[in-house]
Amino acid sequence: MSYVIAAYAVTVIILGGYGLHLSRERAALRRELSGGDESNAG
Amino acid sequence: MSMAPPPQSRWHTATAVVLAVSAVAWIWLVWNAPVDSRQGEIGKILFVHPPAALGAYLGFILTGVGGALYLWRDDERFDHLAAAAAEVGVLFAVVMLLSGPIWAKGTWGKWWSWDLRLTLTLLLFFVYVAYLLLRSFTEGSDRVARFAAIYGIAGVAVIPLNYFAIDLAAGRSIHPENLGGDSLGAGMGWPFAMGLVTATAAFAFLLVRRIELGWLRSERARREALAGARGAS
Repeated sequence: MSYVIAAYAVTVIILGGYGLHLSRERAALRRELSGGDESNAG
Repeated sequence: MSMAPPPQSRWHTATAVVLAVSAVAWIWLVWNAPVDSRQGEIGKILFVHPPAALGAYLGFILTGVGGALYLWRDDERFDHLAAAAAEVGVLFAVVMLLSGPIWAKGTWGKWWSWDLRLTLTLLLFFVYVAYLLLRSFTEGSDRVARFAAIYGIAGVAVIPLNYFAIDLAAGRSIHPENLGGDSLGAGMGWPFAMGLVTATAAFAFLLVRRIELGWLRSERARREALAGARGAS
């Protein structure tokens, strides 16, 4: 069972971590490109 | 050629909703899936490893398609698609290359074997890691984008080799055979199919966000170049 948990945990950590990284960088760049006005983002 | 950003907000919402619904269904089906009579509990890795391979294949095929369309149409959006698909594909390949050895350790008693399928999977992974390295060292150059497009198209040739490696090995491969419609045990078809749906949804979710990020990076580079040119004049 520990192998199964390890395989699923690896999947969630890698893809979830990457998704989180994308969201953070997107939000930061949107803020930067809209001159710090977050209301223009999204 | 500079283009306006594609309107992606509705794609962001659509992919998030599809991913959330399919992930919940997938988790429920995997949790309730019957235990494989030959492999035992470890057989449940089947519901994550082949779907990860699907995500990697999708990424690398789209890298080739995006590269071909970029060469044909000279439209920057296709270059962003190719770069984004390669990065997301490599992430899925990492999942495939980690979940596979975890299953192997529990089943074969060893993490790795230099089997033809495994070796070609590693080769496929390194082909597209090299693609990403090439792009990261020379970001923003049209010439490199064209070279990367040709390289990305050529790399797709490894995919059928990888997929049919077990047939090519003619019985000498220790990797399980590619799954067919009748090779799954009773009750295992739905969790397996939902794994493929969820992997596709996760791939689309990450891809649309990575494409937008690529465009935002280009836009920032354009603005910096413009500001630099104004400062120099």
